[in-house]
Amino acid sequence: MVTTDSIRRSSARIAQMPSFALSVLWFLIHLVISIFFIVLGIADAVENYLISSGFLKRYDAINVGKLRYLAIVVDSEDAMQINKALKLLQWLTDIGVKHVCLYDSEGVLKKSKEIILERLSCAKLYEEGDEKSVLDSKTMIIEFTSQSDGKEALVRAANLLLKRLRSLGENQEEKIFTEAQMTEALKAVGSGGPEPDLLLVYGPARCHLGFPAWRLRYTEIVHMGPLDSMKYGSLLKSIYNFTLVRQNYGK
Amino acid sequence: MLPLRSSVSLEKKLLSFSRNSCPSTITQSLLFPSHGRLVQLKTAVSATGVAHREDDKGVNTGMASTWDLSEPEPLPPGLLRELMPRHVAVVMDGNARWARRRGLPASSGHEAGVQSLRELIELCVKWGIRVLTVFAFSSENWFRPKGEVDFLMGLFERVMESELQNIHRQGVQISTIGDSSKLPKSLQKLLSRAEQYTKDNSQLHMIVAISYSGRSDITQACKRIARKVKDGVICLEDIDEKLIEGELETSFSDFPSPDLLIRTSGELRLSNFLLWQLAYTELFFAQTLWPDFRKTEFVEALHSFQQRQRRYGSRNS
Repeated sequence: MVTTDSIRRSSARIAQMPSFALSVLWFLIHLVISIFFIVLGIADAVENYLISSGFLKRYDAINVGKLRYLAIVVDSEDAMQINKALKLLQWLTDIGVKHVCLYDSEGVLKKSKEIILERLSCAKLYEEGDEKSVLDSKTMIIEFTSQSDGKEALVRAANLLLKRLRSLGENQEEKIFTEAQMTEALKAVGSGGPEPDLLLVYGPARCHLGFPAWRLRYTEIVHMGPLDSMKYGSLLKSIYNFTLVRQNYGK
Repeated sequence: MLPLRSSVSLEKKLLSFSRNSCPSTITQSLLFPSHGRLVQLKTAVSATGVAHREDDKGVNTGMASTWDLSEPEPLPPGLLRELMPRHVAVVMDGNARWARRRGLPASSGHEAGVQSLRELIELCVKWGIRVLTVFAFSSENWFRPKGEVDFLMGLFERVMESELQNIHRQGVQISTIGDSSKLPKSLQKLLSRAEQYTKDNSQLHMIVAISYSGRSDITQACKRIARKVKDGVICLEDIDEKLIEGELETSFSDFPSPDLLIRTSGELRLSNFLLWQLAYTELFFAQTLWPDFRKTEFVEALHSFQQRQRRYGSRNS
């Protein structure tokens, strides 16, 4: 004879079946996606190895000449690992990049520029006009920038234009405060480097951490992850992908 | 390299999720899809108080449709309210490419893009985002073919005319930034009227950047400061970053610096947009073309924002 209790127990078991089925489904999907992540990680690592080893031929003939000016943003805490920064610069020299701007907001790299230039045998410090100079195959020009070259430099440039305005007299703001004049003023205050074609961000956050805003109009920005996990293959791939980009500049 | 791109199809969605999410988030999203194109069933209470179910299309079908914002919408699974960005900026790129892929004129792409914008505004209001800045037209866009520029100016007017009441009803305040002197007079008047009409709204502040240039924004800010120095309002020694920020075109906003920038169509650059304001903004570059950027893609961008470890420099922007 079927008792009330047994009916209740059976009903409870039947009611639990949908939530049990959902739990199983959740587990299976979770498992599939976790496997997918693992496979993707392995694929990334394999691709990096193949690029670094030269097996992928398309990365052998990168038109690095298209990359006239490269900027590297490094998180200031990561920037204290000077050896990592040196390794990155050495890789860039091997790839054939000629002009590099190194940025970290606190100026850690700027303070270490003597060490960096000394350890890289073929590097020299950027001076205004260098972006137009023709360099031999091994030389790299490095510009060191920090927060003081960003918004602070714009403030100094604004002050400079204001002083020019005073010397010209009344109602000359339209002539003085133009984009061209601002660019000249930035050069005059020592923060007038060229606009990078490509900016690689090494850090946990996917932002440029205050890199000089005036110079970022049409710069391609790529987040590379923390400096600790930098890979030669990823670097080469980013530069290669940049050479394929075609910009319309809004037109 | 951590890829920054994403797209609509499930295969590519998994790829992008793998970069930006953990397995649990993806599992939740797959079990509880929240795609804007799905037909949604809604329970509504009729005038007699009897609950009934009615079919409701998830996405508006025409430019003049009433926006459905009658119920507050909970956040999609995996998103935390306390980590939502306060200010989202969007570069709406890819309309012309979207049209070209379908063998249509560029104008069709721009019109399709309007639907994406409507949905984005709706979602921002529902999810409590306070400021939305959209890059509608850059100063460089004036160099596009005249026919396309004229069409865009006409489209801005038509959309503003048809949507103003709905926008106002939902508590959206409209502001514009950029060099409005280059816009057709009729559009200038309409935008001014829209700003005046919605100025007391507080649900969402939508800033439309039209004929805008980031460099020009900075230059004009410095010019305004120069006038204040000339008029004796401030001293030369007082000029600092805060003063320049206070004169930028976005300074009227409660949150002038975006927390999250989304750019569609796979391009990885700022294109002279909000240069000063984006110093510490999280950048999300989506592979999707703007007319295809819908709720799913926006949720993905928000997921990525919330999961990314955000670190500022020692001095905030």
